[in-house]
Amino acid sequence: MSDQTSVLDELPGDLMIWVLIVSELLVFGAGLLAFLGMRAMDPVGFAADQAQLNRVAGAANTIVLVSSGYCAARAVHSIQHMRAWLLGAIGLGIVFLIVKWLEYAEKARLGIGIESSDFFTFYYLLIGFHALHVVAGLVIFGLLMRWQTPRNLEAGTAFWHMVDLIWILLFPIIYLVH
Amino acid sequence: MTATLTRAWLLLIALSMATTLFAGILPEAGPVFVAAVLLLAGLKSRLILSDYLGLRKAPTFQRGFTLILVGFLGLAMLLYALPLGM
Repeated sequence: MSDQTSVLDELPGDLMIWVLIVSELLVFGAGLLAFLGMRAMDPVGFAADQAQLNRVAGAANTIVLVSSGYCAARAVHSIQHMRAWLLGAIGLGIVFLIVKWLEYAEKARLGIGIESSDFFTFYYLLIGFHALHVVAGLVIFGLLMRWQTPRNLEAGTAFWHMVDLIWILLFPIIYLVH
Repeated sequence: MTATLTRAWLLLIALSMATTLFAGILPEAGPVFVAAVLLLAGLKSRLILSDYLGLRKAPTFQRGFTLILVGFLGLAMLLYALPLGM
């Protein structure tokens, strides 16, 4: 065995969680670029569909999710109050999903579905896939409440920050760019 | 560490509110609005990578992620501008 250090040693946390983060960013990044590519062919239609989105709900959810990320980050660095911070992160994650559910319910009430237009196909797929990641993050937090080790906690919160990061890129491109 | 995280969170809130403010002030949008909104998204993403995910302590990776982020947002701006014939 060698004592030589590698540049990978710089990375905080487990290497595998970074592989996951990069993979997920590539998937969502490709989806967003495909969305913008489709928009380039029909900017007027995309703008008309986008006008039906609830920007206030999307903006509120951005604040909810970055605040949840803050709670998760504090959980890693505050062993004494770790469970309280994790509960805060879980609570805000649930608020995010409720707002998302209300948005979807509003669209359903208006008769807007995944096949209504190209815009809404991307909207449902990208936003829905992201919401599934939020659910997965909440399950991970639930497991961490029961079985926490510093390594698990770091990996679980890194996953949550990735979900946060993806939303930061999804929100402006889907809700605002027109 | 707590101070760094709190500062990052407050900045994220401020940048998110700036994005919402832009959207309210400029409902008709346009290239300047989109460039500003994407720039704000880039700044928020960098904060999450740097402070929430801890890349501040891994400058090589922080530079790499920043470069990818700039490339992605630049490509997004280019795709936005395509129908405008820019």
